[in-house]
Amino acid sequence: MASARSWLFTFPATFRTFQSLHLTTLDNSVGTITPVKVGFIQHDVLWVLCQNYPRIAAALWRETLVDAATFRRWLINVGRRDANARIAHVLCEMVVRMRAVGLAEGYSCEFPITQNEIGDALGLSLVHVNRTLQDIREAGLIVLKNGQLQVLDWEGLKAAGDFDPTYLHLKDMQAAA
Amino acid sequence: VNLRTEPVRVANGSDEDGVLVFTGDDRLAAIVTRLSERHDDLAGLWFLEVGFGPVDGPSHPTFSSIDAALDWISQRLRSRAASKSLLA
Repeated sequence: MASARSWLFTFPATFRTFQSLHLTTLDNSVGTITPVKVGFIQHDVLWVLCQNYPRIAAALWRETLVDAATFRRWLINVGRRDANARIAHVLCEMVVRMRAVGLAEGYSCEFPITQNEIGDALGLSLVHVNRTLQDIREAGLIVLKNGQLQVLDWEGLKAAGDFDPTYLHLKDMQAAA
Repeated sequence: VNLRTEPVRVANGSDEDGVLVFTGDDRLAAIVTRLSERHDDLAGLWFLEVGFGPVDGPSHPTFSSIDAALDWISQRLRSRAASKSLLA
C-alpha cells in the first residue's frame, strides 16, 4: 500500500540510519518531532574506526542487535496487543529510555508526541488513542499535560503495558526499575 | 447504494450514542458512533466504529454529519462492487 505510513519513535542520544554503512539504499526516512541537534559521521571515518578499534565495531554491532530486539517487541506490541496495552507499553518505553539518558526527572519526562503521531505509530485511530489515553489517566496511572508525561503509578503502568524492559538491553537496569 | 440506519447504544465505554448502518438488502455494513464531550475538538463528530466487508480496513475516519458518514460508506461499498465486476 503506497500510502501506508508507519512510524517508529527514536530517542535522544541514539544512532540513526546507521544501516547505510552496510546497505547501499536507505529504506526509511527520518523526521523530527522537536528541534534536535544532529551529528553526522562520514562513512570513511566509521570504516577506519571499526577496522582499527574492534571494540567500537562491536559496540555498533550491539546497537543494531538492540535495534532488532526493539523492532521485534514493537511487532508484538502493535500486532498482538489491545489499544490500552499498546499505548501503556509505549509510555513505559519512553520513560525508561529518557531515564537511561538522564532526561527524565523521576518518572516524568517531556512528551512532545501528538495523539495523531501515537495513532500512526501504533495503528490506532485518533479516537481510539484519545479514548485509551483518557482511560489510562482515569485509572490514575499518568498525567499527560502540556507536552509533559508524569507517571503516577509506575508499577501499574508497567502492568497495563505488560512491559518487560529486557529487550532494551540497558547496561544500567536502574532506569527501568 | 441505499443505506438504512437504526439507533443503537454501543458499549465502548465512552461514545455510546450510535447507529447500525444496513445495506439495502439488510446486511449490517457498519456501526457509527457520535463522539461525546470527552473528545474536546472532535466532540459531536461521527466516527466509524467498525466496518464490515468492504467498509472494514485500517481507516477509521470521523465525519461532520451522519449523512457524510453514510456517503463515505456507500462509496466504499460501490468501489468494492466495481472492483468485483472488473474481476468477473
